[in-house]
Amino acid sequence: MRYALRRAGQAAIVLIAAYTVTFLLLQLLPGDAILIRYDNPELGLSAEQIQQIRINYGVDTPWWQQYLTTLAGYLRGEFGYSTQYGTGVLELIGEALPSTVALAGIGFLVAVILAVAIAFLSTLSPFGWLRRGLQAIPGVFVSIPVFWLGILLIQVFSFGLGWVPIVGADPVVGLILPVLTLAVPISAPLAQILIRSVDEVRLQPFVTVVRAKGASESRVLFTSVARNAILPTLTIAGVLFGELVGGAVVTETVFGRPGIGRVTEQAVANQDIPVLQGIVVLAAFTFIVVNLAVDLLYPVLDPRLRSGSRRANAGTAVPESTPTPVEASA
Amino acid sequence: MSRPAIRAVAALAAVATAATLASCASSSAPSGSGAPAGDPVTGGTLTYLEHQTFTNLYPPQAGFYPNGGVVNNITARLTWQNPETLEIEPWIATEWTVNEDATEYTFDLRGEATFSDGTPIDAAAVAKNFDTYGLGNPGLGLTVSEAINNYESSQVVDEDTVTFRFSAPAPGFLQATSTINSGLLSPETLDLSLEEFGAGNATEIVGSGPFVITDERLGTELTFEAREDYDWAPPSFEHQGRAYLDGIHLIVAPEDSVRIGSLLAGQADYIRYVQAFDEARVESAGFELHAPQTRGVNNSIGLRFTNPLLSDVRVRQAIVAGVDAQEVVDTIFTANYPKATSALSSTALGYKDESSFYEYDPERAQELLDEAGWEAGSDGIREKDGQRLSLTVYEAKPQPLSKQTLELVAQQLKKIGVELNVKSADAGTYAEDIKDPVKTPLYHSMVGRADFDVIKSQFHTENRNTLLSDDAELDRLLEVVASEPDPAKRVESSQAVQDYLAEQAYVIPLFEEPQVYGTAPYVHGVEYESVGRPLFYDVWLDK
Repeated sequence: MRYALRRAGQAAIVLIAAYTVTFLLLQLLPGDAILIRYDNPELGLSAEQIQQIRINYGVDTPWWQQYLTTLAGYLRGEFGYSTQYGTGVLELIGEALPSTVALAGIGFLVAVILAVAIAFLSTLSPFGWLRRGLQAIPGVFVSIPVFWLGILLIQVFSFGLGWVPIVGADPVVGLILPVLTLAVPISAPLAQILIRSVDEVRLQPFVTVVRAKGASESRVLFTSVARNAILPTLTIAGVLFGELVGGAVVTETVFGRPGIGRVTEQAVANQDIPVLQGIVVLAAFTFIVVNLAVDLLYPVLDPRLRSGSRRANAGTAVPESTPTPVEASA
Repeated sequence: MSRPAIRAVAALAAVATAATLASCASSSAPSGSGAPAGDPVTGGTLTYLEHQTFTNLYPPQAGFYPNGGVVNNITARLTWQNPETLEIEPWIATEWTVNEDATEYTFDLRGEATFSDGTPIDAAAVAKNFDTYGLGNPGLGLTVSEAINNYESSQVVDEDTVTFRFSAPAPGFLQATSTINSGLLSPETLDLSLEEFGAGNATEIVGSGPFVITDERLGTELTFEAREDYDWAPPSFEHQGRAYLDGIHLIVAPEDSVRIGSLLAGQADYIRYVQAFDEARVESAGFELHAPQTRGVNNSIGLRFTNPLLSDVRVRQAIVAGVDAQEVVDTIFTANYPKATSALSSTALGYKDESSFYEYDPERAQELLDEAGWEAGSDGIREKDGQRLSLTVYEAKPQPLSKQTLELVAQQLKKIGVELNVKSADAGTYAEDIKDPVKTPLYHSMVGRADFDVIKSQFHTENRNTLLSDDAELDRLLEVVASEPDPAKRVESSQAVQDYLAEQAYVIPLFEEPQVYGTAPYVHGVEYESVGRPLFYDVWLDK
């Protein structure tokens, strides 16, 4: 209980910090949304008209006043309105979110499958050249720009082979290429960590014991090594959430998909501060939840972490070189 | 990956890191397509790919092409401007009278037309439209239309007759009633605030045109349906009654290769913004290219003479002579982008050929700079009193291939000893810096509108003021254009402005800018309004 309360308190502090940092950063940028949108030669508005608009939007007040006003709004659950579109921030995010959650969720799942496949195949491979080849894949994947990959997949599978339409596709078919685009770069670091920790765990004494008992190489891998190797991977998976959101921005733009990525890109381009604030708070919130979920999963995977103080037991069981779980030392 | 996208990622990454640390046509016949086609077919949905997402559907803000493409199809206007002759023809108004000094306009309305919510398009509704567009509505944030000058008041004479009055001659008003900036909206829609004309609310906009918006997916898709009861196309159109298409599916596809690829792969029927370098690919695959002209102020570079480096007319003349617009057109663009011969397009009203002022002559440019006292420095860039002749220009995102164009111009200018720095910037920096002649001495822009007033829009200090001018003489000449009731004299006054711009070397006209679209071979009846926005009313599909 105390643990849960402490976590909730930390979460609130992180949210306010994230909010404040973005607010200050956005204030430092030259220009503002009203300037970009209205004080633009394209509209031909006079100086007085623009001043009136500035007053209507409250951007003529000092920054600290704007900060307090919007913060108070957030505490009341009011997230304000987009200066670019006029749409409510919550409405804007609410409409974009399901599409991004579907893309990111399935993309992550596919990335995990890819990573596990690469890692396990390379471990089990009887040929050195194949093993080396598979182990090189993450390095290649991580250096592929998401943008380029998206275009390539579209050109080959949609325009060239005509297998999947990207314009006017039904929602499920329309997900295939974006999911692949997102999954490939995410799978790379996952696979890398997984390969390394599989190698490390296999050198542990308890594995030798299992092997000595006559277990086959694949049995050793699936029953004994995998479980232990997955812990550090899971930690990285939590951190990769940020990368997932970044990948979604690019993927959604290339594929013209609706979603948080597109909304973010537009909001940044137009310095639409209310929308950016909403997205940052949402991102920080999700990040906290994901990390909490990862923490809570450790005891499920590692029985030694289930009772009593985690730190007391952890030192002896977890291999030294394994990355320390994000939350374990808190 | 675009800069904004990179910044978005960087911002999110920064927050993520912080979180970790802390926590834990006109018309007459379907003419657009080349292949001879049979009789028009009713039915089918057109898949149309847009380059950018629309930002606002308030008609006075419809100048932005993604907005205009939507507004053009959901609103009827009082009048129709024939895109070939540029004559003003009846539409919702059957006839009109203008008093001698163009301060009073009276329109007779056809009467039977309705908005898509069923309310009649009567004199009261039309009066409310122009009161809003002519005066704005500050309470709702609705801005005054750039196309309407000197608006004073409206008067409902009877149900089908409305009179507008102006505080000074407004000869451009008749043409203004034909532009998408004057698209007729239901009286209730005009009570919406500017925000409510924005994204997320498109289905609430009640217009008077052949299509209505029935669905919106925020920022990415719009669905249009044809109005079965639409029966008020301009009388000069051969086609009357409802649109041929059942509907339009507008999808935003920002990536060039995706738009072109979708068209060529048969996934889309009609796309906007075919880049010059893709034109050959589209045509060689047997698809149609359409390049309607925007008929206004040409794609040009303005020389902001309030910057001290550009205050000497000889320096400006040298820069004008040092730019080879023909090379720009030949290397970067295609035949659809004719070389400019004046500040105005050759298809614009009031155009005058000023090509003698805009000949490429690097030797003359060198002489002029020598005369003005600028001498070549150690790196070839000219210097005077310890100052380098170094100028800055920002990439203009709305102009096609702006960066490539400006970089080529920079190479040309280097040959005469002028340094041009081409910069890209985020929206905020750009918006701030382009208002300062010291930070942005050269400014790349264009504006399309098929009326004499367009030149005032671009250069007058109270309008777009792209030169950041302090030249009272220029303002005076422009005001004559906007207030001269006699059409013949308007031509003269517009030509006087073009003469003045050329003599003073205020602009470097580059090319006459088209809007370039691509369509599949089975798309017929492709048409555009007078400055190149697509009209889907006559489009039909033969597939």
